[in-house]
Amino acid sequence: MTPSTTRVADATAASAAGGDERLAYRGVFARILVRPEIGAAIAAVSIWIFFWAVSVPFGLTSGAASILDVSATLGIMAVAVSMLMIGGEFDLSAGAATGAFGIITLLLVRDVTGEMGGAGLSLWFALPLSFLLAMGLGLFNGTLVNKTSLPSFIVTLASFFILVGSKLGFAKLLVDQIQVGKMNDLAIFSEDRASDKGYAFFNRIFAAEWERNLHQWDSRDAFYTFGVVAGLTLLVIALYELRFRRKETQNMLGLGVCLAGIVLGLVGIFNLHNTRGTQGDVVGAGFIGFGILVGFIGLAMWRYESLNDRGGLTLTADASRPLILGLVALAASFIAARYFDSQNSEDIFFMVTEQGLRAILFVGLGATAAVFLLISSSRAGYTSQTARSAVLMLTALLVAATAFFIRAESVTPKFRTQVLAVMLVLAALMATWAVTTLLFAERRSPDDKAERLGRTLVIVGSSLAVMGVVARMLFVVQAEIDAGAPPSKFSVRILWFLGFTAACAWVLARTKFGSWTFAVGGNKQASRQIGVPAERTKTQLFMLVAGAAWLVGTLLAFRLNTIQASTGDGLEFEFIIAAVVGGTMLTGGYGSAIGAAIGAIIMAMAKQGIPSSRWNSDWRFVFLGVILLLAVIANDFIRSKAEAAR
Amino acid sequence: MKKLKGLLALLFAFTLFAAACGDTSDEADDPTTTAGDDSAETTEAMEDDGDEGEAPETTEADVDLTQGGDLTFHMITHSDDGPFWSVVKKGAEAAAADVGVTLVWMPGNNDPGKMVTDIATAIGEGSNGIAASLPSPDQLIGPLQDAVAAGIPVYTINSGVNDYQTIGATSHVGQTEFIAGQGAGLRFNDAGATHVLCGRQEQSNVGLTERCNGLKDTFTGTVTDEFVGLDADQTEQINGIKALMEASPDIDGFLGVGPVIAMSGLTASQDLGRDVVVGGFDITPEIIDAIEAGDVAFTVDQQQYLQGYLPVVLMFLEATNQNTAGGGLPILTGPGFVTPENAGAVKELVAAGTR
Repeated sequence: MTPSTTRVADATAASAAGGDERLAYRGVFARILVRPEIGAAIAAVSIWIFFWAVSVPFGLTSGAASILDVSATLGIMAVAVSMLMIGGEFDLSAGAATGAFGIITLLLVRDVTGEMGGAGLSLWFALPLSFLLAMGLGLFNGTLVNKTSLPSFIVTLASFFILVGSKLGFAKLLVDQIQVGKMNDLAIFSEDRASDKGYAFFNRIFAAEWERNLHQWDSRDAFYTFGVVAGLTLLVIALYELRFRRKETQNMLGLGVCLAGIVLGLVGIFNLHNTRGTQGDVVGAGFIGFGILVGFIGLAMWRYESLNDRGGLTLTADASRPLILGLVALAASFIAARYFDSQNSEDIFFMVTEQGLRAILFVGLGATAAVFLLISSSRAGYTSQTARSAVLMLTALLVAATAFFIRAESVTPKFRTQVLAVMLVLAALMATWAVTTLLFAERRSPDDKAERLGRTLVIVGSSLAVMGVVARMLFVVQAEIDAGAPPSKFSVRILWFLGFTAACAWVLARTKFGSWTFAVGGNKQASRQIGVPAERTKTQLFMLVAGAAWLVGTLLAFRLNTIQASTGDGLEFEFIIAAVVGGTMLTGGYGSAIGAAIGAIIMAMAKQGIPSSRWNSDWRFVFLGVILLLAVIANDFIRSKAEAAR
Repeated sequence: MKKLKGLLALLFAFTLFAAACGDTSDEADDPTTTAGDDSAETTEAMEDDGDEGEAPETTEADVDLTQGGDLTFHMITHSDDGPFWSVVKKGAEAAAADVGVTLVWMPGNNDPGKMVTDIATAIGEGSNGIAASLPSPDQLIGPLQDAVAAGIPVYTINSGVNDYQTIGATSHVGQTEFIAGQGAGLRFNDAGATHVLCGRQEQSNVGLTERCNGLKDTFTGTVTDEFVGLDADQTEQINGIKALMEASPDIDGFLGVGPVIAMSGLTASQDLGRDVVVGGFDITPEIIDAIEAGDVAFTVDQQQYLQGYLPVVLMFLEATNQNTAGGGLPILTGPGFVTPENAGAVKELVAAGTR
């Protein structure tokens, strides 16, 4: 297929080649934005940045450990529930079930001599037995929904009440308490008995903890810096590879320029690493920014074709309206930051302090400005590449200006150095993107080689970046010990969460069962007519949720040792909310497991961020509601933009 | 423990919500206001009560005496016969056996409607004394006033400290949340704490807020009073407490206004490796174990056994000897404290079902 310079020509070419519009090529950004979890991911990053800015403990490793701790159990359930919701059903018994299976396991292992109070089984039998009961609950819910054809909302509401009642009833009948404990009694009894009934083994599996302060690794920061820098660089290179059209013969001069850029960047990084104080940071950031510009232009010169038809510098009304709105919002955010006193921590309204209001206004208006400017640049690009690049370049300059504004306006070191550096790098990347998109041609047709390379780069790059961040979270350096780092414990629950999410994402994307799930949720009747075993699929989804509840109940039983009869009651709505925040639709047939996991992390961040920022807890649910509303609106906005861009 | 009941009721069924709230709101009110200005009035009211009650009382007493002192008392509560109320019941039964009267235990299971019918039944059976809890005053004041009008001695127990005078009851036997919180504050003073986090497991439960207010009243240092997450989600509770403790590094005391949240506070402080004095409310096997191990400093015990035992004895004395205890003021059953010193003994009593 011949590459063409305009979309119209492209479409004509496609139809001429016998293609059809459903297979039309989509650009790299459209492809990213159309994924259901992307809105949630952007919301998650924004919320993290927001709380990082307004609270000290939130951004620390111990804060991250807490967020992950809260996300783990919530996330496992949210992922399972999102799969069920994709399959078009709800399970309101999911919350109560988590506590129920914890209690069942505890009742099975509990051993009280002389009275009724537990079956005294070994964990080796108790865990599979309670898992079987979980499967039974899933089968019960699924079969009832299928046989009665009643809405699952009603059927599982009934199971919810039955579970809540039986939890309390059985707990009081058997142990005369509204709580059942204690798992760690098994370990205590093991001292005078031959066996601890598998407690030591299962405790390692379900409740092992990684204590950060016990793991020192002094070259951690070097590894972290390498991982993050190399990883992000590879990701941006992948973006270039996916965006631009390769040329037939490579230009070796470009490669040379590219290497020079890399050297410049490295100089900047070493400068940052080896100097203290803001002056050194600015010099370092300058080198990095310049290195980025040179490096990527070199990369583009080396590999990609240049652009011929750039269009003139004219802005359509469509593009200039958001541009003006963006500039106004940015000006307003600057004024707000100047007007309010950053040091005043007294309440000015009934629920927010002056410095809090300042932070909210500045960040909120700034983010609005960024969104408007990006929309403007995207709209300008419909008619002219020059206009798009111009708007993008202006945005990059404004980001850099904002970075220096923040530095000038704040006293906290994290704003004066870290924020400045990150924003300058971001500005450099945007400016580079503006320049390269103006000079080089966009690829508007599939290219298997480029896509394969791009995908590999994305995988390698994100793994490197994640490894860098994980190393920083898991290991401590001498300087931190000297400064009295608060203990951070990472639990094996987090691995269960990640593993479960990965497994569910794989099942949804790659297996027949995953396709069936989407099919029955989209249209049960139609799916059955094309041969999908709709009822079986739904029952299996209910069993998946019950299985997840069993896992969470087991994790809680090992974590807390004692489970309350009320444990988990009412949380079923949190699971559904997390799934929806993560891009799963309430109507079924659309959604993602990874999105639901991110949704759970968003909820956990909101819940942790509020006490970390010392916001008045009386207003907690107002804050939580606003944050969730913003996350959902952002998600929906991005999705509708992406759908429109299709 | 009763708060826990309230929470459970809330989660059971939304229809019971009103009952649970009413329960906590009335017992939470500041006892000092009831104790102060109204005392004169109260005495009058009580005398009225006595006068009114005397005529039918005497006749009934005559009947009773001819029957050999066979008194029947009714205890009408919102009891769900859970661990908390079963101790009250044990106390009442023990007192009935000790003084030789018949006790009719009528648990309302958080249903004020049933309590209204039970009160009517008790009046109809010619009860010699009624002890009632007042989870939702609006519905129960009327029927209890009827009982007083019928010449039956009435005591309110557990909840109802605000309304026992309106009813014309002789006295109230229970704990006020504010005074319990005050007691906890003194304990933190003794422990040398400077900044106490008062963690609540419910956001709009007046009783829990009153416990924190009592703490603020007597504790000499700073008090931070926050809702940190429901008992139903202990993971969130633990991490919420951690976040607050990290945000304020000077926090060196934690009062959980329930037994579960107290344990969450203990876990949070242990996770952070901080030396925090932890106190709690109410009794569970878990918290007693932690007190015995020295991890938790104390838990406030409202000694509900007394809330069953005392009213029976008081009603017996009122019926047979015309005694009225309390002097118009409520009779407090708490705060009692479980500390490392008495935890071992209390543990045995809990097992025996009397604590």
